[in-house]
Formats: sequence, structure tokens, C-alpha cells
Amino acid sequence: MAVFMQSLISGILIGGVYALIGIGLTLIFGVMRVINFAHGDILMVGMYLTYIIFTMLGIDPFVSVLITFPLMFLFGGFLQKVFINRVLNALAQNQILLTIGLGLIMSNTVMLIFTSDYKILTTTYSSSTIQVGGGVSVSTPLLISFLITSAITAALYWFLLKTDTGQAIRATAQDRDAAQLMGINVKRMSIIAFGLGSALAGTAGALISPTYYIFPQVGGVFTLKAFVITVLGGMGSVVGATLGGILIGITESLGAVYISSGWKDVIVFVLFLLVLLFKPSGLMGKSRT
Amino acid sequence: MRKHLLALGVTLTLSPGLMAQKIGVINSMSGPEAPIGENITNGIKLAEEDLKKKGFNLQLVWEDDTGKPQISMSAMEKLATRDNVAGVVGPYTSACSNAVAKLAEKYRVPLLIPAAAKEEITRQGLKHVFRMNAPADKYASSLIDAALSLGKPKTIAFVYENTDFGTSTSKTAKDYVATKGLQVVADVSYAKGSADYRSNLAQIKSKNPDLVFMVSYVADAILLMRQSKEVGLQPQAFLGAGAGFTTTEFAKEKAISEAVVSCTQWTDDVSWPGAKDFGQRYKAKFGKEPTYHAACAYASMVIMAETAKNAGGDRAKTRDGLKAGKWNGIMGEVKFADYDGFTNQNNHQMLVQQILSGNYETILPAQFATKKALYPFPKWK
Amino acid sequence: MNKTLLKSLLALIGLAFLLVIPRFVDSPYALHMMILLFLSVMMGQSWNILGGYAGQHSVGHAAYFGVGAYTTMMLMHTKQIAPWIGVWAGMALVIVVALAIGSICFRLRGPYFVLASIAVAEILRLSAINLTTLTNGAEGILATELPAFKIGGTVVTDFLTKVPFYYIGLFLVLLTIVVTYLVQHSKLGYFFQAIREDQDAAHSLGISISLYKNIALVISAVLTSLAGSFYGIYVGFVDPPTVLGLDVSVQIMLICIIGGMGTIWGPVLGSLILVPLSEALRSNMITEALVKVGLVSADSRVGLFLKENLSHAHVLLYGILVVLVILFMPDGLMGFVNKLMRRKREAV
Repeated sequence: MAVFMQSLISGILIGGVYALIGIGLTLIFGVMRVINFAHGDILMVGMYLTYIIFTMLGIDPFVSVLITFPLMFLFGGFLQKVFINRVLNALAQNQILLTIGLGLIMSNTVMLIFTSDYKILTTTYSSSTIQVGGGVSVSTPLLISFLITSAITAALYWFLLKTDTGQAIRATAQDRDAAQLMGINVKRMSIIAFGLGSALAGTAGALISPTYYIFPQVGGVFTLKAFVITVLGGMGSVVGATLGGILIGITESLGAVYISSGWKDVIVFVLFLLVLLFKPSGLMGKSRT
Repeated sequence: MRKHLLALGVTLTLSPGLMAQKIGVINSMSGPEAPIGENITNGIKLAEEDLKKKGFNLQLVWEDDTGKPQISMSAMEKLATRDNVAGVVGPYTSACSNAVAKLAEKYRVPLLIPAAAKEEITRQGLKHVFRMNAPADKYASSLIDAALSLGKPKTIAFVYENTDFGTSTSKTAKDYVATKGLQVVADVSYAKGSADYRSNLAQIKSKNPDLVFMVSYVADAILLMRQSKEVGLQPQAFLGAGAGFTTTEFAKEKAISEAVVSCTQWTDDVSWPGAKDFGQRYKAKFGKEPTYHAACAYASMVIMAETAKNAGGDRAKTRDGLKAGKWNGIMGEVKFADYDGFTNQNNHQMLVQQILSGNYETILPAQFATKKALYPFPKWK
Repeated sequence: MNKTLLKSLLALIGLAFLLVIPRFVDSPYALHMMILLFLSVMMGQSWNILGGYAGQHSVGHAAYFGVGAYTTMMLMHTKQIAPWIGVWAGMALVIVVALAIGSICFRLRGPYFVLASIAVAEILRLSAINLTTLTNGAEGILATELPAFKIGGTVVTDFLTKVPFYYIGLFLVLLTIVVTYLVQHSKLGYFFQAIREDQDAAHSLGISISLYKNIALVISAVLTSLAGSFYGIYVGFVDPPTVLGLDVSVQIMLICIIGGMGTIWGPVLGSLILVPLSEALRSNMITEALVKVGLVSADSRVGLFLKENLSHAHVLLYGILVVLVILFMPDGLMGFVNKLMRRKREAV
């Protein structure tokens, strides 16, 4: 029972970070229908940013999110304006290759600057835990990052539901042409969406930095995970991505114990294919047109 | 331009007997293996510097194999047939070394592999393939022997990355513990780079093993130990195989790395000649501690360059020189011998070390020990 | 008429040239690069049939490449079955795998198809890691000793040099080009292109979408599996990341997209650019050449900088190339060349 509870709790907490990565991707896909293969690399850039701020200025990663978020927003907006914008109407595989190319540029530039060494960002609380009872413990940094994730997600919901810009983004996601006809500045919304998506990925990178490690090729793992989460929740659905992230966290955690740690990623991909086949709109998505 | 040519002419006429030692280097300088490959690059650069100071006219041809066997082959073909090198040092990974070894044999180019772990590489009877480091089976036997000499463990749990190194090391380890009467209570492989190992570690904790044997080549080691502490996994000893457990970054994480036993090919406090000096100069030049890969690569390059120089750049003579030679340097005594089915394998002494007060201290073998071992593993704070 | 004659003549001259290369070039390095070039053309051309002609942009072709490579190597390693027999087993198995994958992926369109194709290839890669008794897991399969190829007791070749591999590679390249040519000039090619241009319109014309998609997939998969087997036999080692990894799939697709999809010469052109370029960057030949030409002195600051960083940066340059091609030549080089020629013609 202790094993089960431990797996469940850490699955949920890790799932919170996954959710943030997934929400970023789903926003980008929702608004632009572009599959962003550079998502993991954007997350990696966020990690390095956090690392620089921590080592040079000594600012705690959980605090420096306040700096990372806007910087990554600008970075994403730049990517959208200069590159992605040009392929919005191109074939899907050209968009994919463009983002793969951008990802390669990001990871290899970082490699030239920082070398490919593993960087460890150790805070005073990196290895500290809270005992919950019943032999179950919770990692303090993971718990904090989960709380920050929840706060950001809540703020994002509020932004998308209550503000004019947020509603315009949702309108663009629902129907790009109609939104344009309604007088929404679609180009601007795209920049904001890509900026937000990147900021969320970068923030996720910042939040896992204290419990993870950093190297230039770290993105690959997260890109694939982000796709699975996004499809699971329904491409473009923020609520779906939130639930998808947590679901994947739990599946990995429980799958590793009750099925096999070697096969847990296979389980995730099989789940992904099943959703694609039988509920292609995702667990939370509306029907796709 | 003319000035350069003139200068070149002068040096050539002034030193007629000074022939260049042209040596190839194959290494993973980009791609997924680059983080470790970097150490090898640095080790060789330091060797190059030292050799040039000693008056070697060393000319290195660098080849990046990006961690892919077929690219590694391209590099070897080029070095063997286009660049006409006297010998080659590298490649880094086992997969690449395997692919390149047979080419070295075909073209009769002496190949000195600095740090690839797979046993088979030097078990194929290839006459031109030499290896500096001890292969994977040594990790398992030296760590388990260490644990058995320190206490009376009965059960063991395995946690290893699902890579070539991880699976082959744990496989030989499992065979080895069977002969020692230890019972395997958990056998968990993981994909490197996962963020969360807690559920598996909690599961292992429920089995209450006496020993936990972990294989991690990269920074996963830190994650594994942090999360072991989180879930309260408390064996008599944590045994760590692979480079992940032997980095300074790992030792710096005092809260989780204290008293972890690991084994390595090299440390800077071992009494091998020049080891300490190498460590200091490496740190001064590259701003970080050398890993054993760096030391293996350094020693390999020095040996290859010296042998090639004595052989006048002739491949056959270089090969014979490597086979017959005996060296004593930062890797201790080096000799490429044939034993237990190996060919041209340096029977390297592995060092078992433990982190005590934040430093790696050698605990076994006794003649190199710097501190007494701490056993059993202290209670988590 | 004259033009086709000229074209065939040119092709014949080119072929004759390729056939005699090993007679005059004895540098194994040069032959090795040619073999890698052939492999690249094979991989690109096989993808082209499904991706370029039928418009199904799979990013999971590593699955077929890996199944071919693994089957041949496993049979050779564990059952001592000669690779020229194992290849057929690989192709047979790949048909089964392809149809299974098709039954999943072809229900989806656009980005969903792409993601599903990635997922399937990843499942195969992870399975190869975990099914250790079958595939030897992450340790991979090492089989370097090739049996001599005999016909009725006389040894045709013992595979000791690169020459037999060169000719096998050349033959396989010709095979894939001929298959592509036949597809393009048959009813099949017409159906494929109809599906690519407008799936719903093709459906309303009475073309069985799923039948023709599966035909395209099977042709493509079988050829990719051949390329995979060739890779395995030539390199002598396979493991999950090198033959089943996502970057293999991306590489296969890249050849076509840089060269130009849906054209016979696109993958050839793409390979002619990518293979030498990445080799030149990787091995620092560009710096060497610059020094030789005299543009940069080897000891100058620029020379040292290039020597130090250019080979490190080759993947970066690769990334930049991809981005530039996608942005400025979205139809690949073939598309770009065709556009230029059209413009010239219009000007005349």
C-alpha cells in the first residue's frame, strides 16, 4: 500500500510539470495547427536561463521564474514572427522539419556556449522531503513546483476566459478564418500564443531544474512526452492538457511498478495510439473539424 | 604567406630527423554521447600539449563520429586510407568501437580504445585492437567483492539504465552474485533521462535489500540517490557503477552522496605516477575535475604517440611496439596482454572508492586505500 | 522524342560511369562514401513513394529500416542464415509490420498521422530494447563475419573489400529508382497522386483510399527494409538507437524534403548534398580546404577558431541548412530548379 501511495503521489506531482509542458504545446497547436518539435528545446533554453540566473545572480529557481517567464515569452514571440509565421500554410512535414531545424540550432548553439557537460543546479532544498505518514514521503522542491504549476495554470485559465486577448486567442484556435473576419488580429494572436507556449515550456524547465539536470540535448525526452499529453487531452484543449499531463505522470509511475519499468514508455505510447484511434478528439476535446 | 612558407622551410631544414607523428582521434564530439566525449577530447588535448613540450612533432587528425557506428566507420576509413595515420586513439562508445575495430584489423592500423566498456571488443582475437580501460565485467566483480569483504549481505537489488553499458554490466553482475550466493530481490531497468524513479525505488524499499547495485552513466545517479533518500531506501550499501557515480558534481551533493561506494578506472589521489599532477593541470586548463575517461584518453594518446615515434610512424612496428611495450604512468602499469579470452587488453586495476566527507576516498584494493571504509550505510538524516 | 533520347543517353553514361568507378578508384574511403551515398538514396527514394507520391508523411520509417536490419542480423547471428536469404525474411516480416501499422495510422490524417507514425516506431524501438532474448536488447547485435557468397560452389565474392558492397548498393539504388519510375508512370502513381492532392475527391472518384495507401506503404516499407538490411550487413552492428531511433526517421524524410518530394531525382539530389556536406563538416575538411586554397592560414586566429569549432558546429550548420531550405525552397532543390527553368523558358 505504501508503494502504491508513494507511486501515486509522485506521479501526480511529476504530472503537474508535464501538464505545464503540454499546455504550452496545446496552445501553439490550437492557435496555429503547427506541431512544434522544438518544444523540448525551448524547455531546455528555459533550463539554461534558470541556471545562468542562479549561478550568476544567485536567484532561486522558483523566484527566477518571474524573470524566465517574460524572457521566454519574448523568445517565443520572436520565433513565431521570424520563422513559424512563414510556414503557417505549408505542408505539415515542412512545419515539422522547420521546428526540428530550429531545435537543432538551439541545442547546438547552447552546446557551443556551455559545452555538453551536465549541469546540476543544487539548491539547499534539492534533496529535502516532507514525511506524509504511512512511510510515504514527498519531495519538497517537487511539491513547490507543483503548487507553482497549479497557480500558473489557474492564472492561464483566467487569462483565456476573462480577458479580451484571451478570448481572441480562443476564437483564433476555434476557427482561424472566422476570427480574422471578426476583426481579430490573427497574426498578433499567433505571436502571443507562441510566446505563451514557449514561456510555459521555459517555466516547466525552470521548475524541474532543482530536481533534474541540464544538458543541451535534454529536450528530446520532453518533446515526445508533450505530444502524447497534448493528444491525450485533445489538441488545443488546455483543460485536457492539464489532465493529460497528470494522467501520464500517474501512468508512468504506476506502470513502472506494476507492469515493468522497461515497458512503461511503451504503455504510454499504446495509450496514446488508443486515444488517437478511438477518441481522436482527445479525452477532453470537442469534435475536430 | 611567404613568411610562413619560409618559416616552414627553415624548421624543415633545421630538423631533418624530426618526423611528424600523425595520429588519428575518433571521438563523439557532438550528438547524445558528447557530454562524456568532451572529457576524452580534453584528455587528448592535454596529452598533445605535454607531448609537444617534450619535443614530439605530433599531428592529430580529429574525427567526430557523432556517436553513430556508421559515421565512426567513415572516420576510420578516412584515417586509414586517406590520412595515413600511424595509429588511432578512440572511439568512445562501445557501439562505435565495435564497428571500427574490424576496420582497424582490415587496414592493419593500430587502434587504441581508451574507454569503451563492452567486453566483446577485445575478445575477437583482433591483433590491431588494444584497450586501455577495464571492461564492464570488472565493475561488477570489484564492487560486489568490496561489499562482501565489508559485511555479510544476503540480498541485492539491481537498478540500471537500459543502455548497452547498463544491461551488460548488470548482466555480468547478476551472474557474479549467483556464484557468491547472493539473492537478487529486484531487477529494474530504466530509460536514462527519466525525471521520476520514486515508484521503483519505493518498490525496492519494500523488498528491503542488503545491497543496492545501481548503474548510471550520467547525472541520473544524482536523481537516483536523491529519490532513494526521499523514499527512505536504506540498504547496507549503495554500490554505484558507471561514470554517473564518479563525478565531482555527484560528490558535491553531500546530502545524498555520502558513503556511496563506487568503482572507477582512475582517481587523482591514487599513487600512480603523475596522476595527481595530471588532475591539477587538467583542472587549471579546463576548469573542472577530470573523469576517468579523460585520464584513459590522456594515457592512451601518450602511449600511442611514444610508440609511433619509436616506430618511425610505421604501422606494423607501432602495433608490435604496443604489443611488446610496458608503461607506468597516470593509469598505473599498462600492458596489453592476452588473458581469459581477451586479446591486447590492459588488465587494469579497478579502484573501489567511497565518498567520505564529500571526497572520493579509495577504499580498495588495500595498497591504494586512502581511508577506511564506512559500512553499513548510515541512516538517512 | 529527341529529348527523351538525350535523357536516356545521359542516364546510360552516368550508369556506365558509376559501374566503372571501382575499377579506377581504389581508395576504400571514397568507396565507403559512395556506399553511404547509395544508402541515403535508397532510404530517401523508399520514403518518397509513400511520402512524396501518396502524400502520407510518415515520420516513423525507422520502424521498417530497423525491422529489416534486425531480421537480417538476428538470422545471421543466431541461426547462421546467410544475409542474402535473411533479407527476404526481413522483407516478408516488414510487410506484416507495415500492414499492421497502416491499419492504425491510415485512420488518421495530417498531424495525427505523423504523430501516430512516430509512436509506432518508438514502440518498436522500446520493444527491441526490452525483448532481450530475441534482440539482445540494448547491447545490440554484432555480426562482422560475412559468409562468402557462392553460386554452386564457386565463390562469387567473399566481401573482403568494399567493391561487392559498392555494386550491391548501386544495384539497390537502381532498383528503387526503377520501382519509383514504374510507380510514377503507371495507374498506381496516378491514384497515389490523386490521394495526395485531395483525398476526398479521390474517394468520390471511386478510388479505394485505404487500398492504395496500403499499397504505397508496402512498397515503401519493403524498400526501406532492404536499405536497413544493407546497412546492417555493411556496418556489421545494429542496436536500437542506431536503426530504430527517431533521428533515423527524420534523416530519411530530410533527404527527400531537401531534394524535393514526389520527383525521381529529388532523393538523389538530396543525398548528393547531405552526405558529402555532413562528412565535410564532420571531419573538418572545409577548414582544411580553406587552408589549402590559402584563404585562411592554419595558424591564424580564424584558422584556429574554425579548426576548433567547425566540426563541433556541424549539427548546428545542418540545422541552419534545414531551416533555410524550408523557408526559401519549400519544394526542395528539385522544386527550386524546376521553378528556375520554368522562369527561364517563360523569359525566352
